[in-house]
Amino acid sequence: MTALLEVRGLTRRFGGIHALRDVGLDVREGETHAVIGPNGAGKSTLFKLIGGQLAATAGTITYAGRRIDHLAPHRRARRGIAIAFQDAPVFHGMTVAENAMVGAHAVTSAGPLSAVLRLPRHRRDEQVIRTAAAHALRRVALHELADQSAESLPLGRQRALQVARALCGRPRLLLLDEPASGLRGPERTALAALIEDLRGEGMSILLVEHDVAFVARLADRVTVLDLGAVLATGTYQQIRSDPAVIAAYLGGHA
Amino acid sequence: MRWIPFVLAAAVVPVFLGPGQLTVYVLLGLSAMAVVGLSLLMGYAGQVSLGQASFTAIGAYTAGLLAVHDVPPLLGLVVAPVAAALAAVVVGVPILRLRGHQLAFATLALQLILLSVLGDADWAGGAIGLQGLPYLSVFGFELNEDLHYAYLVLLGVVLTAVVASSLVRSRAGRGLRALATAPVAAEASGVPVGAYRLLVFAVSAAFAGLAGGIYAFFVGYLAPGSFPVLLSIEYVVMAVVGGLGSIAGAILGATLITLLVQALTSLATQPGMPGYAPGVLSYAVYAVLLIVIVLFVPRGVVPTLSRRFRRETSPGRPAPVDPAPARARPGAGR
Ligand SMILES: Nc1ncnc2c1ncn2[C@@H]1O[C@H](COP(=O)(O)OP(=O)(O)OP(=O)(O)O)[C@@H](O)[C@H]1O
Ligand SMILES: [Mg+2]
Repeated sequence: MTALLEVRGLTRRFGGIHALRDVGLDVREGETHAVIGPNGAGKSTLFKLIGGQLAATAGTITYAGRRIDHLAPHRRARRGIAIAFQDAPVFHGMTVAENAMVGAHAVTSAGPLSAVLRLPRHRRDEQVIRTAAAHALRRVALHELADQSAESLPLGRQRALQVARALCGRPRLLLLDEPASGLRGPERTALAALIEDLRGEGMSILLVEHDVAFVARLADRVTVLDLGAVLATGTYQQIRSDPAVIAAYLGGHA
Repeated sequence: MRWIPFVLAAAVVPVFLGPGQLTVYVLLGLSAMAVVGLSLLMGYAGQVSLGQASFTAIGAYTAGLLAVHDVPPLLGLVVAPVAAALAAVVVGVPILRLRGHQLAFATLALQLILLSVLGDADWAGGAIGLQGLPYLSVFGFELNEDLHYAYLVLLGVVLTAVVASSLVRSRAGRGLRALATAPVAAEASGVPVGAYRLLVFAVSAAFAGLAGGIYAFFVGYLAPGSFPVLLSIEYVVMAVVGGLGSIAGAILGATLITLLVQALTSLATQPGMPGYAPGVLSYAVYAVLLIVIVLFVPRGVVPTLSRRFRRETSPGRPAPVDPAPARARPGAGR
């Protein structure tokens, strides 16, 4: 297996704080890779650097064999990187379906002029977008709420909507920042099943999650971050017996 | 097609108007065109422009100058919105990096600069401006009556509304609406935020520019004083009163404010009122209206009414809707 995403020497400072320090990480084609670590370890910062929401202080990010660290976020989206943020923002004043449809921006290109002139290209893209949104909403069981306003959904459902939006871009690399937080038991199980399905379809997934059982079930490999640095990388079995990890993080669990 | 009855009603009105009232009708329509664009800009790109009348002026002067140099008026009218949009792109690249108040001040400064340049420019007639512009003529038919311009303006309003609504309902429009409330998530979904902000700015400028072009031929003379900062502020008040990002709201806002200003002007020009009364009254009313709207109807009139209407007509939870893809219909403005 080759690495789809290669992160090397990635460093990000906020003033005096080292949010990330010389981080190296690989996501192989088709693997589900979990990033774990205590609060403030730098997990979300890592995701925002990969997604392009933040710029690195130093280091490189290579995706599908090319450097992407200079690209604007929307260009990274077009290359096939989708991200569901930890704070799960939804687009207000838009329906659930429309929220998901925005995610299809990355895989369509009809411009405003073609919409105003109602060119065939516009209609073709609209069809693609609607189909993608309906499909993605069904995968997260939101299809029955398609016409509701997105901000009226409970927080857990807003999280699911963000995942649907990300899926609409047919990503090759999907970044999920704590997608299970705030979800109830059955929702959690459904999310785990969805992630397994996506992995089965060959999608590469980078996942932040605090729930150890969730990680143990889903992740091919795990990277442990602490204070912005990588403590260990390996299978869940490997890292749970790593002395540094036990000392810093798993503590009593292991 | 809900709007067809409104267009028909608006088309009947001019028949019953006297000369002075027809002028008000035309000016109202011109404002509505500019406000539809401004409402897009404020509602979807989250940008306040306090200098939107700059683009009305650019459109008007473009049409006027071309006409003075014997270019056929219809061509001038077509070039007017293009020139305004180009100007918006040129200034938008640096200006749209600014946020909130800064952009408002930058656009205001822009208008002040434009007005002073126009006032000093010999090629634009300086403070006196351009006089004796020809009437617009379309394939040999000269539009030389107020009634003609009333229908031209109605056409202009319909055109801007149709363009704006097809924009809003499209892929690009969804991107725009998304970036209005969650720009980071929108950009991560592939929405080119910078380009889209520039796009709405250019579209809003084009609408104002088209209004300016029509104005030039309707009035027949142009001066820097025809496009005061007060006009820009009036546009903002109209957009806010109607409801940002609502096309119907923009038109209703323009109508309400125009009628109100008319009433005030007839009051302020009563015998015994000082000469500055109309100006002062307008500013005062705009200030009071803005405060009242922001405090009591922050969404604007049309979105608030349509919300209330929807709540009254659909008791209880909205029923789950058939998930078939075709039903995933984009809604109208917010
Ligand atoms: N925009 C910012 N400005 C300043 N400091 C920041 C910023 N974003 C993150 N930090 C700091 O960087 C460090 C890492 O934060 P980050 O959000 O990446 O942690 P995390 O591992 O995602 O934590 P959590 O599990 O709570 O989500 C923290 O110390 C945080 O305070
Ligand atoms: Mg985090």
